Amino acid sequence: MDAGNNEPNKELQAMGNDYLWDGSGEPDPEIRRLEALLGRFQYNRPRPEFPEIVPAKRWRFFLPRRQLYPALATVVAVAAVGAVAFLMYGGKPNKLPGWDVSAVEGTPRLGQKAISGQDGSSRLGVGQTLETDLQARARLRADEIGQIEVEPGTRLRLLDMGSGLKRIALDRGTIHTFIWAPPGEFVVDTPSAMAVDLGCAYTLQVDDTGAGLVRTSLGWVGFKLKGRESFIPAGAACVTRPRVGPGTPYFEDASSEFRSALTRFDFEDSTSEQRGTDLAIVLAQSRKRDALTLWHLLSRVDEPQRAIVYNDLAKFIPPPSGVTQTGILRLDQPMLDRWWNDLGFDDISVWRYWERSWSGRAPQANTK
Amino acid sequence: MSTGSEHGFSLLAAGLGGRPLGEQFAHDLFEDTPLVSAARDGDRAAFGRLYDRYARMVHGVLLAKVPLGEVDDLVQDVFVLALRRLSTLREIGSFGAWLAAIARNLAKDYHRRAAPEDQLTADLSENETEHPLTSGDHEGAAAAILDAIRSLPEAYREPLILRLVEGMTGPEIATRTGLTPGSVRVNLHRGIQQLRERLSPNSSRGRPEQERP
Repeated sequence: MDAGNNEPNKELQAMGNDYLWDGSGEPDPEIRRLEALLGRFQYNRPRPEFPEIVPAKRWRFFLPRRQLYPALATVVAVAAVGAVAFLMYGGKPNKLPGWDVSAVEGTPRLGQKAISGQDGSSRLGVGQTLETDLQARARLRADEIGQIEVEPGTRLRLLDMGSGLKRIALDRGTIHTFIWAPPGEFVVDTPSAMAVDLGCAYTLQVDDTGAGLVRTSLGWVGFKLKGRESFIPAGAACVTRPRVGPGTPYFEDASSEFRSALTRFDFEDSTSEQRGTDLAIVLAQSRKRDALTLWHLLSRVDEPQRAIVYNDLAKFIPPPSGVTQTGILRLDQPMLDRWWNDLGFDDISVWRYWERSWSGRAPQANTK
Repeated sequence: MSTGSEHGFSLLAAGLGGRPLGEQFAHDLFEDTPLVSAARDGDRAAFGRLYDRYARMVHGVLLAKVPLGEVDDLVQDVFVLALRRLSTLREIGSFGAWLAAIARNLAKDYHRRAAPEDQLTADLSENETEHPLTSGDHEGAAAAILDAIRSLPEAYREPLILRLVEGMTGPEIATRTGLTPGSVRVNLHRGIQQLRERLSPNSSRGRPEQERP
């Protein structure tokens, strides 16, 4: 907002123009005239024929027989076109796997090459590094993956563009990602955790110490270092620190006392007494939506405290049928997962599938 | 007659930043949820109904950012992309915000690829000798007004175009785009003030310079 904050009462009174707001009240002749003139630009195209929708079941490997023959025909046709192209171009692809890079501001550098002015675009290939100084911004785009806005002071590397896993390393700086690749395909490796895209849009920051922060605006993100994992849905954030990994995620509208106590609990408290004190603050300040935080705390607190967290979480979201206190206290993973699915965020089976699929191939947090 | 403070209070109570005015559209969102679920399960008719509900919003978002002649095709592109990516939408209730984000992104992408001479206002009227609101040339006046709206700061363009071009109400804009009613109301109000200034015959700004999104 650029103006008007200094006179909120005047503005509130002036906003009594209900006709502009919801079409009620006395019609404003000037606005009526604007509506009449501008109405000619209104969208009135009929609904188009949309192609068939691939249902949301993502990992369906066998087609029904009636779909099998058209699918096979398509595969054969694509293979034939591919073979012809291979023969015509000697097997050299026109475009190596990578991201298109464009300069948004200043002069980003792709390795030693400066990107700016008339020559303001290039391509980031596997193994290459993109750097922006404090005056530069860049944009990465890959049609089948998504778009990344790169803020000033950022250094990132493209590690992998393999089928099913697209991986970059963010050594420092800030990126805003908008990903349309299937969940789990796009991974960002940071010095203290890796971020796995499970949805749509998030911002990831890494400072010079290697500490990171992810803030999700749409969908959800998984943050992982070795066995420690955090899930961050839209509206939530999560801090990560070198050698510790991801902290406990929290909704950004939680109270400052809640967030401060959680940070101390995750990264600073060195005695069980301190941890107990900060945990008590977090539990006392929790709201129903902070079930996100409490669910994560179940596996991060000592056993005596776990029963307390269990009870508080159960008050907000009762455990589903078949999930028992005994099971949760011994950190039974299937029971934890079923409770998570009842919290109203996203289905954790997407994440578990990702873990199984990339077991052994999954990247670990990078080291500079 | 109410006092100023009573007036301010009643505006707040009526939903400046809160719910009541938006409630008339809340049932739309409840109806959207099963439609989005059905579309994700492969129901094309359900996706078609979502198109009917959201096409004007997508059109308005794009019209605020790209040349008029490109908008209709980009609307189709947005829905085709959304259709292909529907299975990745995690929060069904955020369908409108997700769709608006796709539209804004495609608009950015359009500008990234567009030739430098392909200006936002290239297809609009150059005739500004008369005041647009009193001009007899309705087509030229409409183009000049649209041009003026698209020269406003980005935060004001979308709500004004959705309100004045697409005929959506403020609560509907908030519901469809996922923005808060308070921010839509403030941006509509401030936007219309700035538009009046730009359209004023005494405006010193002359023909506004186009700000690229």
